[in-house]
Amino acid sequence: MSNENDILLEELANKEYEFGFVTDIDMEIAPLGLSEDTVRYISAKKGEPSWLLEWRLKAYQAFLKSPMPSWQNFVMPEIDFQSASYYAAPRQQAKYQSLDEVDPELLATFDKLGISLNEQKLLAGVAVDVIFDSVSVTTTYKKQLHDLGIIFCSLGEAVQEHPELVKKYLGSVVPVTDNTFAALNAGVFSDGSFVYIPKGVRCPMELSTYFRINAENNGQFERTLIIADEGSYVSYLEGCTAPKRDTNQLHAAVVELIALDNAEIKYSTVQNWYPGDKDGRGGIYNFVTKRGNCKGPHSKISWTQVETGSSITWKYPSVILQGDYSSGEFYSVAVTKGKQIADTGTKMHHIGKETKSRIISKGISAGEGQNSYRGLVQMGAKANNARNFTQCDSLLIGDQCGAHTFPYIESRNSSAMVEHEATTSKIGEDQLFYLNQRGIDTEKAVALIINGYAKEVLNQLPMEFAVEAQKLLSITLEGSVG
Amino acid sequence: MNNVGTALYEEMIRTFDMSGASHTKETASLAHLRKEAFRTFKEKGFPTIKDEDWRFTNMAPYLKDAYQLQVPVKVEATALEALLDSTAVEEWDAWKLVLVNGQIDYSLSDLPEAGLLKISSLKEVLGSEEVSKFIGLHQNTDANRLAALNTALFEDGLFIEVAKGQKAEKPLHIVHLYTADVPSFVQPRHLILLGRLSEFTFMESTACVGGEAPVLVNGVLECNLEEGANLTHYVLQRGRRGERMVQHTQVYQARDSRYDNVTISLPETDLIRNQLQVALDGSGSECHLYGLYLPSAGQLIDNHTVVDHLQPHCESNELYKGVLQNSAKAVFNGKIFVRQIAQKTNAFQQNNNLLLGDKALVHSKPQLEIFADDVKCSHGSTIGQFNPESLFYLRARGIGEALAKELLVQAFGADITDRVSSDAVSRHLKKHLLERPVTQLQDVPHIEHI
Repeated sequence: MSNENDILLEELANKEYEFGFVTDIDMEIAPLGLSEDTVRYISAKKGEPSWLLEWRLKAYQAFLKSPMPSWQNFVMPEIDFQSASYYAAPRQQAKYQSLDEVDPELLATFDKLGISLNEQKLLAGVAVDVIFDSVSVTTTYKKQLHDLGIIFCSLGEAVQEHPELVKKYLGSVVPVTDNTFAALNAGVFSDGSFVYIPKGVRCPMELSTYFRINAENNGQFERTLIIADEGSYVSYLEGCTAPKRDTNQLHAAVVELIALDNAEIKYSTVQNWYPGDKDGRGGIYNFVTKRGNCKGPHSKISWTQVETGSSITWKYPSVILQGDYSSGEFYSVAVTKGKQIADTGTKMHHIGKETKSRIISKGISAGEGQNSYRGLVQMGAKANNARNFTQCDSLLIGDQCGAHTFPYIESRNSSAMVEHEATTSKIGEDQLFYLNQRGIDTEKAVALIINGYAKEVLNQLPMEFAVEAQKLLSITLEGSVG
Repeated sequence: MNNVGTALYEEMIRTFDMSGASHTKETASLAHLRKEAFRTFKEKGFPTIKDEDWRFTNMAPYLKDAYQLQVPVKVEATALEALLDSTAVEEWDAWKLVLVNGQIDYSLSDLPEAGLLKISSLKEVLGSEEVSKFIGLHQNTDANRLAALNTALFEDGLFIEVAKGQKAEKPLHIVHLYTADVPSFVQPRHLILLGRLSEFTFMESTACVGGEAPVLVNGVLECNLEEGANLTHYVLQRGRRGERMVQHTQVYQARDSRYDNVTISLPETDLIRNQLQVALDGSGSECHLYGLYLPSAGQLIDNHTVVDHLQPHCESNELYKGVLQNSAKAVFNGKIFVRQIAQKTNAFQQNNNLLLGDKALVHSKPQLEIFADDVKCSHGSTIGQFNPESLFYLRARGIGEALAKELLVQAFGADITDRVSSDAVSRHLKKHLLERPVTQLQDVPHIEHI
């Protein structure tokens, strides 16, 4: 049995990355290096107004001043900010009226990713904003959304067309001085998605972005800003892939969500960046700052993430529960295998009264993967009757991996309630035996158990994504038997 | 180096430079250890809130006083005896060892004849290689600068050795008395060695007498358990305003050994910081750690525990509970490490807090770091209030709200005091809970009066 396990484990470790292809597209790439000129170059390229350039420069200064963080539970790789390019865009930067005009190479790429735009057009209900290395290529379903007053476009476009909204909210949740990578992002972000849902509108379809890093030596710094006005609702999906490269690429994105009175935002991520090869060479450093602000009373923000890729994932999607009666949720499945590292979790800042939060985190470590849950639950002095429930479970597959839990729990209010529980274990032999006995082979049994284990989180994903995530999970962990 | 407690830091450097003369009888290895430990301390200084382990406990305000390091004891014997009486455990048949400002006072103690249970001052045995090799043996000085400071500068403390196969006839009650007319900085150092298959039970009580001057105690206790040894350790921490205690306890366990700890921290003291670290370095060993902390207004109680599973088939249990009132502050950080070879580990940890005061603050940080896959580990943490249903149940039976709350607090605390296997000690601990009604409602009768 153990021999069989070893073989399976090895297979798992050697599992190739499916999306590791490179697309040959004529790119316009900024010269390597980072300086104030780089910031000006990007800003000029995008024809930004002067207030934004100033904001970027302020951020760049903040970046220079802030030291590299050192509290994380992994050895921070040396990142040479000078050897990367901070801007890359497909050369043919025309506005597409229809898909026929899009570069066929690009379409082929999306075909391979399984999110072909053509198919998307037929499939009801998903509007995709595609970010191909930093620049938003096309947005589908724009017209239909436009009729409802919903703004769904690239951030660059929003800066030109809706400067008042961007100016008001950009950096309001994640200030430029927040952390090193957020500051860097604010300085050099090239594009991203912008969503505005007007008062009382329920967005009829899932909005979706697909990120892909294509160019070599190119960090991707996109920035997403979602504003849900009073009484509105939106569900937003984000997916990520990258081609196989030997060098590490940095992905330092910032996502800001703002939910006003009675609004609800649901943000789902399926992250499958290139995780590096079996020796840990290459792969994406996924250092992302995601934060939402439940600004108005009765608002709600929900984060769901399935993290299977990246050589290092380092992110904490957080919610500031500012409005009274607001609620925040965080559902996460993080899988590490090979030499992958995930240091992820969430922060829930309870400020308003009667605020509620719920955290469900499922970590799965296989091979030599290291998985850390790091979370903060903070009950402010005015958060009367606030309530939190946290559950974080870890599953270990193989004896070379690690699972770590670092919850920070803090309460200043004598009517707030906080509960936290965590468990760590391996797949039960009795469970495996039960399934084996009913004619299900070990590999399928493991997939079944893992899916059951992650069900609570997968259930939170929109339908189309849930199926994809489920597949991703079974592919990622194929043949892993504890 | 940082700028926390600069004056005291300078004082430490002066003291260390002069301390060589009084340590001449010590072994070369200890001299080396002291030097290394001091280098660590000197490099980084006192801990600050920028250190992850001290993030929620700011030492700075407690380091401002002009502490003196060598303060002669000037308290009347009668005052000491009166204080000693207050620490007495009724109906508990135990030997008694009294330390005043970290030095044994034989006149107040009641000790067994020299024999298989050896009790002496630590200073006496520091010349022996056999003993001094245990000093700082399992201590990570890099991570614990205050413990390192103690290693560098300690003068005296107690030494206990239980010989192989011996079961101590009676338990030992160790009473630490502190007294100060001028701000004093005391650094006692204790070492307890348990031979193979030996058994020993002891209780530590602390009390502070005389003077209003601040006292800062930076104590280190090291316990070394050989194969199959069994150590039971109770701690009752009680002090007065102006007293600050940092207690580092390092336990090392060999195969099949067992360590039990129950720590009760009572209100009054300005600051209590307990660092309990257990290394399970032999398969079949187990440890059980229980704690109850009851900080009062303006007080901070901080429990940092580390359980390190270094070998397979070990078990650890941990339960810490706290009741916070007024503007009390409490910190709990429990770390469990399970090393890669430590398969078949069972490790459990739980922290419950009853937050009653409007301005009270709790930081709870349970932490698991697991590198082995065939393990069962869990932790839990809660911060909450009285269960309204329980309150209603009691009130429906004619018990007033204040008393009902008091009852619930006592039931909450009983979870910990009941872990004490000695009835007399358990009663003694409960008595202290009753003496200081945690809900602070003056007219609440105690349970016994119902």
